[in-house]
Amino acid sequence: MDVIDQIFVLATRWILEFAGRFLPPLLVVLLSILISITAIALFAPLTMMYLTWLERKIVGRIQNRYGPNRVGKYGLLQPIADGIKMLTKEDIVPHGADRTVHFLAPIAVVVPSLLLFAVLPFGRGMIAADLDVGLLFFIAISSLGTLAIFMGGWGSRNKFSLLGAMRAIAQMVSYEVPLVLSVVTAIMISGSLSTRAIVEAQQGWWYFFTPWGLVGFVIFFISAVSEVNRTPFDIPEGESEIVAGFHTEYSGMKFALFYMAEFLNAFAFSALGATLFLGGWLGSLLPSWAWFGLKTFVLIFIMIWFRGTFPRLRVDQLMGYAWKFLLPMSLVNILAAGLWHYLPTWAAWPATMALLAAAFIALSNAHPTGEPLVKRTYPLVD
Amino acid sequence: MVLFLLLAAITAAGALGSILLRNLVHCILSLILFFFGVACLYILLQAEFIAVVQVLIYVGAVATLALFAIMLTRQVTGMELKQQLGQNRWIALGVGVAVLSVLIGAVTKQTFPAVAAQGRVSAEDLGRTLVTAYAVPFEIASVLLTAAMIGAIVVAMEQQHKTADRQRNTEHRTPNTEQ
Repeated sequence: MDVIDQIFVLATRWILEFAGRFLPPLLVVLLSILISITAIALFAPLTMMYLTWLERKIVGRIQNRYGPNRVGKYGLLQPIADGIKMLTKEDIVPHGADRTVHFLAPIAVVVPSLLLFAVLPFGRGMIAADLDVGLLFFIAISSLGTLAIFMGGWGSRNKFSLLGAMRAIAQMVSYEVPLVLSVVTAIMISGSLSTRAIVEAQQGWWYFFTPWGLVGFVIFFISAVSEVNRTPFDIPEGESEIVAGFHTEYSGMKFALFYMAEFLNAFAFSALGATLFLGGWLGSLLPSWAWFGLKTFVLIFIMIWFRGTFPRLRVDQLMGYAWKFLLPMSLVNILAAGLWHYLPTWAAWPATMALLAAAFIALSNAHPTGEPLVKRTYPLVD
Repeated sequence: MVLFLLLAAITAAGALGSILLRNLVHCILSLILFFFGVACLYILLQAEFIAVVQVLIYVGAVATLALFAIMLTRQVTGMELKQQLGQNRWIALGVGVAVLSVLIGAVTKQTFPAVAAQGRVSAEDLGRTLVTAYAVPFEIASVLLTAAMIGAIVVAMEQQHKTADRQRNTEHRTPNTEQ
């Protein structure tokens, strides 16, 4: 059991011991870093490729069709075929584009998404860089994607791209606030910024099964879906309004890189959600990395499910939701986590539940969702 | 040492680019490069927390804010958005000289090689000192930031009222479909 649980850790150790026989110690240290990097660099594109397959299959099922099923059994070779197609496509750069910025944007968007994987605890002892400030690192790096998207949209010199980029920045800045505030609760209770320590603090009782944990997780997940630009928050690339938003002017492999970043971010945020609130790799019977993968894929499935069911939000609805509902709710949630920490268990449950329920009811009544329907006038048309 | 020189070169290049480049967006992008270089230098000094916060605040917030400022101007798309020395050049020179003199004073006071602090300072130690030994400066900084934020909101609100009045007074041809 332990062997299966630690199989990747043991494999790494074995390789390092083997290399240590005829390599100087400095090179062994470099090799250990290289192994982690290679593992992530192999794992990430593979995950991305099969996430596209998974998404097409699930959305296909939701829409009552089969999804890809021509290339390979169950369409399993479809991502490879798509990859080859992307690589052989012509790379078009618009005439008026800012060539340097246009070229750098796809790189700048993928690198942060890969860096995110460094602090994710994939299993017991399976973390590439166990930083003291792992969670802060994740948040800081994930905010870089916004800049890359702006570079892409601005560098293309296309009004749809620019509109998409502006929407992306406004949206990501807004949703980052509730995202970070919902994460704060997990930090408060576990007393650590390290992702490994947060998982270990959930031994016995996942944060998801506490009032503040549930609320925090829901806020985190909604904000995360928005941060990675997925439906129903995909207005930066809303195809019915602004063609493809910030990546309108990208073709071939550069386009694929934007896509890759989106899927990698979706994976990374699901993994972080599982780590912070669902106990990460904790669980019985199955090996730790299997538990981690399982929880992450449940969250990814929910994201795809969202995509298959929800219509896209309007810009004003999107902003109003973040600032008028999610933000106050996450602030109240921090208060609830504080109460949870200081009150004895018998008092903590009813107190936090009452506080959160009252806040939820007050906030949803303060901003009624059903706006009165007003007949819209379009003076230029009439 | 090689790593330090490389990072320092990148950082300096970013800083120079942010003042010498003509296109305003290029300036901001190279400013971001500079912020990154500084964050990497912090990592070399084993101050991970400061490095991460550097990225979080300067790259994630300050640079994005600067981009916002550009997006709110009229020539968002244009190449014509240039960085130039306006009528403020003497004030800028004065501020620059003042900052430089403070920095030179600080550097000359320090004897090199400086004695490194014993052991790594963890985020926890940092937090503890902030709310115990340095609680007053910390609170003053928070009050200052809050005041600045409220001030900005008030200024923005006044302008909004004014523009709303102007819109009501002068009949606009372009309709506002958002409202």
